[in-house]
Amino acid sequence: MAGSLISQSEQVFIVHGVENDFRSDGRSSIDYRPMELETDVVSHASGSARLRLANTDILVGVKTEIDVPKPETPGLGKIEFFVDCSANATPEFEGRGGEQLANTISSTMQRAYYSPQAFNLKQLCIFEGKQCWKLYVDILILECGGNLCDAVSLAVKAALFNTRLPCVKAALMDGGNIDLQLSDDPYDSKQLDIGTAPLLVTLCKIGTKCVVDPSAEEERCSVISLVVGVTGNPNFYQTDDNVIPDIKCKCSTISMNGPGSLSPKTLKSAIEQGITAANCLDNALGDALLREKDEISYLKKHSYGFLK
Amino acid sequence: MPLDYRRFNGPDDSVSYKRFTPDFLKSYEELLGDLLEKNNLKDEQASDEAQRVFAETDTISQAKGSAYVEIKNTKVVCSVFDPREIPHQNEFSHLGQIYCEVKFAPFSCSSQRRPPAPDAEDKALSEALRQAIEPAVCRHLFPNYQIDVFAYIIENDGSCLAAAINAAGLALTDAAVPMYDLITASSMAILDDKMFVVPNEEEEELAMKSQESKDINHGVITLSMLSELSQITSFIQIGSLETDCVIKAMDILEKECKELVPNIQKVVVRNVIKNVKRQQILHESAKEMEEILDEKYNLWQKSLKAKSYLCFSLSFFSLLA
Amino acid sequence: MTGHVSIRLASERVNHSVATSNELPRFYTPGEVISGMQDFMRGHGTYTEDDNLKSSVAGVMQKVNKLICIRPLKSRYVGEIGDVVVGRVLEVQQRRWKVDTNSRLDSILQLSSVNLPGGELRRRSVEDEQSMRKVLQEGDLISAEVQSVFSDGSLSLHTRSLKYGKLVQGTLVKVFPSLIKRRKNHFHNILGISIIIGNNGYIWISPREKESTENDDLENIEKAKLEPVSISIREIMARVKNCIAALVASKMMLDDTSILMAYEESLKYETAKEMLDPEAMLDIAFLTQHRLNYVTTE
Repeated sequence: MAGSLISQSEQVFIVHGVENDFRSDGRSSIDYRPMELETDVVSHASGSARLRLANTDILVGVKTEIDVPKPETPGLGKIEFFVDCSANATPEFEGRGGEQLANTISSTMQRAYYSPQAFNLKQLCIFEGKQCWKLYVDILILECGGNLCDAVSLAVKAALFNTRLPCVKAALMDGGNIDLQLSDDPYDSKQLDIGTAPLLVTLCKIGTKCVVDPSAEEERCSVISLVVGVTGNPNFYQTDDNVIPDIKCKCSTISMNGPGSLSPKTLKSAIEQGITAANCLDNALGDALLREKDEISYLKKHSYGFLK
Repeated sequence: MPLDYRRFNGPDDSVSYKRFTPDFLKSYEELLGDLLEKNNLKDEQASDEAQRVFAETDTISQAKGSAYVEIKNTKVVCSVFDPREIPHQNEFSHLGQIYCEVKFAPFSCSSQRRPPAPDAEDKALSEALRQAIEPAVCRHLFPNYQIDVFAYIIENDGSCLAAAINAAGLALTDAAVPMYDLITASSMAILDDKMFVVPNEEEEELAMKSQESKDINHGVITLSMLSELSQITSFIQIGSLETDCVIKAMDILEKECKELVPNIQKVVVRNVIKNVKRQQILHESAKEMEEILDEKYNLWQKSLKAKSYLCFSLSFFSLLA
Repeated sequence: MTGHVSIRLASERVNHSVATSNELPRFYTPGEVISGMQDFMRGHGTYTEDDNLKSSVAGVMQKVNKLICIRPLKSRYVGEIGDVVVGRVLEVQQRRWKVDTNSRLDSILQLSSVNLPGGELRRRSVEDEQSMRKVLQEGDLISAEVQSVFSDGSLSLHTRSLKYGKLVQGTLVKVFPSLIKRRKNHFHNILGISIIIGNNGYIWISPREKESTENDDLENIEKAKLEPVSISIREIMARVKNCIAALVASKMMLDDTSILMAYEESLKYETAKEMLDPEAMLDIAFLTQHRLNYVTTE
């Protein structure tokens, strides 16, 4: 990633630091850098969110459209992810430079959202076998400062939380066609159930240990990273007290990135470390989103915008 | 997806006739029941999955190295070509690169025809294949060069990525690309408490679909590793699994990959023996040819001498006359 | 074991400004007329057109007698002879290294302006030329002094002093060069660590080098340079790094005093990672600003 050079002795310093569980800015191996989140930033999207993690800046917009469900899954809607690595982030992404990275991220997201236990596509159904909602999740990478996968998954979950689907008042069969009647009131809409939506955690192997949220320099020191997608806990995303029995976090996807390899032992410990980190992330995200929701309901939203 | 204008694409809205067969209309539970029943019948036969792999190298004559792998009904052909300079790159890279392309034949899948242009799944598989074989290759030996690996899935009956990785590993060995270790891969489908090692398409599909109402483990895992070095080169999981389940599956797959190694080794050795024998035969035939030629040459020389003497004497006599 | 994750909302964003005075200087924008040409001289950041002196960058005016310059608010580093810089080697070329020093053009370090092992007056042989990568290779960090400025504005560096040369273990922090105060000394040994505040905005934080004894041979010294750094030193380094980040976020000038003050203020936070929080950063910057004001008014 971002092709900054790094000298051998700097690498030694970072590797020793990770070994001692004390990184160059004082973090331990499962600490994240502070993040900033804002939802509902794009007016033409059904839902949107912007997340900034140190130097990484992600903007996600969700567009909803009506589509015909796949014949093998008549009762399910569709969701698709597109990642755009614009050359704004780094000149390396110019032309087709960012394509491979974009493909990797979007296919990882697609895999993470595959299981119905992670994201239930049934809620996107309008008329079984005839019509369904299709969510286009467009991910824009505005700035690239390491740890893209984690930031993308957080921003996507926030954007889906913010997404409102218009209420369908009636669906009439007219010959072979479906006539939909949508509600006239734009505020008459329903929220998506995204409590279990997965978050991705990148574990970067430096030396013999793994760290979360690597900085750009730390990414340069590592040849292999593990991406673990972990389903969320719906309890973090609702205010009312009817507590759903705690669902155990599950792995929704695991994949590896980079030219290196891992020993089985490291892989096992890294997966567990990833689940711990994902749980913390999920908790913090839910908390932030609920605060944001409160704020919006009290006063008219004031938009803060991008790239601080 | 951008439309492919170079080919006749056929009507957009054509559907497979299989949608109207009774099998298609079966509910999830029915399908699961069928599968389990089938499996019970099958289980009596040994579940030694490693034995069900058929592999052969050197199947494509024009490639530098090639392999054909059959796992159950999945058939993959893979070829490796000579290293060439990395196209469209100005910067010097100290490590060689590997370019992978996985493609499904249009008729490879049972449910629907595959589009001829690569789609998202093809791209994801290509990426996964590259990730799996990259750590195995000594890339520092061909700086600024690129090795192309093409895998073609002729028939897909589940665990096609594992088959593609096995085939690519064999093809690389056949092409004499320096590698740290033999690479083997295996996959597993998990449905609740059942684990299907090297699943077929039915099992894979059921494990991916699952029933959303129940909170059960389901998913597919593909793992590839360098057994001698005990390093995992790629690990791809999809679905929803508890950690314990992932770790248990990992152990089984690791063992599975290890068991596959002797089989792969056998194929490689067989190929080497075949080549050595072929070389010997060539060598011997060359020797024979040489002997025959030598003989002929001697004869010819002799006759030439005789002739020239004759000519000489003739001309001499004619002069005299 | 739980990790620390904090997600704040944009509405809770911290305003990092700690400026005490509300007076703003006059800003010029590109193309703006500064004055007539009559009795002024054209300096950096300006151009003339139709007898008018115009600004070519956005910034504030600096006037020295008749010379008018516009100093941009944000710029790459403009080098001056004698500046201490920290740079990264980008390329090894024929008899010279190309070094990134955050200036407009890449800087040059000639083979002849480096101290090679074996005395200062050694001749540079062909072998030296061939083994340049052994001295410095791509990615290595160096501290150096600006020797001269070429006509196109690129810098020629030298490391012909024991305090300059290759940097080993430590971390690099990049800040705006305009935040660095020009001082007599840019090498500081404070708090048990050493800090090099490069004029070009690159700051190098490293553990203090051990005094090497006479009888140590070269190999041992090399080995000692890669030994693990103790946790207590790391803690201080992380604190200093985060202090600099806090001061930069509030656009405060950096020199040894401000860094030292910020460090002292930061001691109320138990761990270095707490200082990554925007509130803590503002707090540190604010207190430092306060102390600096106090010192200057006294």
